[in-house]
Amino acid sequence: MDIRINDLVKRIPGTGDFISIDKEKCTMCERCLIICVANLWKKKKDHVYIVDDYQSKCLECAACYQVCEPGAIDFQYPAGGTGVVFEKG
Amino acid sequence: MSIHNYDVVIVGAGPGGSTAAKEAAESGLKTIFFERGRKPGEKNSSGSGLGPRMWLDFDIMKELSPDVCPSMRAGTAARHYFVDSNDEVASYIMTRPTSSVNYEPAKSFITMNIYRSEFDPWLAKFATDAGAELKTSTLIVGLLKEDGKVVGVIDEKGEKYRGIVIGADGVISTVARESGLRSKWAQKQVTITIQYDFEVSPKKIDDIMGDETLAVWWSAVFPAAYQVFFNDGFHIGFGNWMSWWDKNPLHYLNRCIKLKYFQRLVRILDAKPREFQSHLLPWQGEPYDTHTDNVMLIGDAGGFPCPLEAEGMYPAMITGRAAAEVAAEAISEGDTSIEFLSRYDTAWKKTSVGEDFEAGSELYSIWKALPFSPRENMSWIVPLVSEVLGGIIDWSEPHPKRIRQVARTIKGYLPKIIPMLMKEILPLLTASLGEEKMDLVTNPEKLLAAMPEVELALAQAFMSADDEEE
Repeated sequence: MDIRINDLVKRIPGTGDFISIDKEKCTMCERCLIICVANLWKKKKDHVYIVDDYQSKCLECAACYQVCEPGAIDFQYPAGGTGVVFEKG
Repeated sequence: MSIHNYDVVIVGAGPGGSTAAKEAAESGLKTIFFERGRKPGEKNSSGSGLGPRMWLDFDIMKELSPDVCPSMRAGTAARHYFVDSNDEVASYIMTRPTSSVNYEPAKSFITMNIYRSEFDPWLAKFATDAGAELKTSTLIVGLLKEDGKVVGVIDEKGEKYRGIVIGADGVISTVARESGLRSKWAQKQVTITIQYDFEVSPKKIDDIMGDETLAVWWSAVFPAAYQVFFNDGFHIGFGNWMSWWDKNPLHYLNRCIKLKYFQRLVRILDAKPREFQSHLLPWQGEPYDTHTDNVMLIGDAGGFPCPLEAEGMYPAMITGRAAAEVAAEAISEGDTSIEFLSRYDTAWKKTSVGEDFEAGSELYSIWKALPFSPRENMSWIVPLVSEVLGGIIDWSEPHPKRIRQVARTIKGYLPKIIPMLMKEILPLLTASLGEEKMDLVTNPEKLLAAMPEVELALAQAFMSADDEEE
């Protein structure tokens, strides 16, 4: 049974940007790459980044923000009334 | 922008925020509470079990019925599956409320399982009926400050609301962050918890599961997973502290749902994946920094989920009520200073939730050592439990010989069992019983003086265990 989790999440568009990373503070520890269940964090040679379309894939759990010891990742909840909707949470 | 004046401003309309709003409004305070979703509950995912203590402490719970909350299903009995290092269900047992449980509804169910999209709006309506104002689709982005002190909140449109602030805004709490109470949790104080929701027809659940509508999948290969049945579906999920993960959490959860045994359940239930959720959940031994000038934190925002099993909604409601009571006193006496609001700690510590935290660090430590340590500890506990259960029905040898074989195997686990008892169980017993009673129980000389037959029994039990070949 292979399940694509993004098929199982409903969203209301219009979140705006709500996650960012400060490359200066990032230590490339890659904890965000391990923890993000939506697999939104990627690494290039010299930096870590979040995929461009994260707004339509993020689960708003804030794990990336929490796990970031150097405080490079900033997370604010998306605008009220937008983003993920859990009907069976 | 103008400033809107209230007595109490509550950030969050989950079970904690709605309870605080209801109690504040009922005591005559001008109250507003905010929800970032279009309605309460639609941003929340949860283990989704309501504990029976809620029916003791909150009269409104008697009104909860399938009419208002169609997803509800009693988690009456719990299966405990034991998964070994080969991804095999090596044994399982079933438990239900025991004979020492002494009140209803705790005799009838372990948890009442509900979807938050139904329960949270139902609860919020009691607050609005009591006169509290609910503002949905509204994100609180900051705190209103004067002379460095918090006097209210600011929403995403820049609207300002003045009043004593109750932070009911969950694990990543803007109120905690902006008030300086907590910039971020330590990694060992918070878990990531992920879960699938599966759709199942109610009749299939009735026929196949009966009232065995809770399960824990104790495992040597992934953190213990919980399975919670609702009227027309179930959750399968788990969590662990942020510092634990060496691979993606989804890798481990998929290992659980790929178990042959689990897949067989999915087939016979004709279960279909319906939703996936991920959230963080505070899980710690002792709440601290729960308040400052004009601010109190309740529920997840204050770190109140139960230190053993992280039951969250009940502690949120209890702390919500305590915060509303203290807010009413503070307003009537015109003092919302950090010193006055220390009454909040006094208040919640007197409750059933406070009692859980009396042994909080010990309970936390046990959970960390067992379900959250699959490789270190469940890897030997699963075969140990399975040896004991499996030894009961076994025709492979003459029964006296089998009993000795099983006893010898158990003896082989003593180097693991004894440190576990010393490190995890004794501190909990000490915290619960007190030093004096523990001394009686644990001092071998005193114990044997009281019960000489124990020594004889122990000697006989292991006397001939080694003289037999495998």
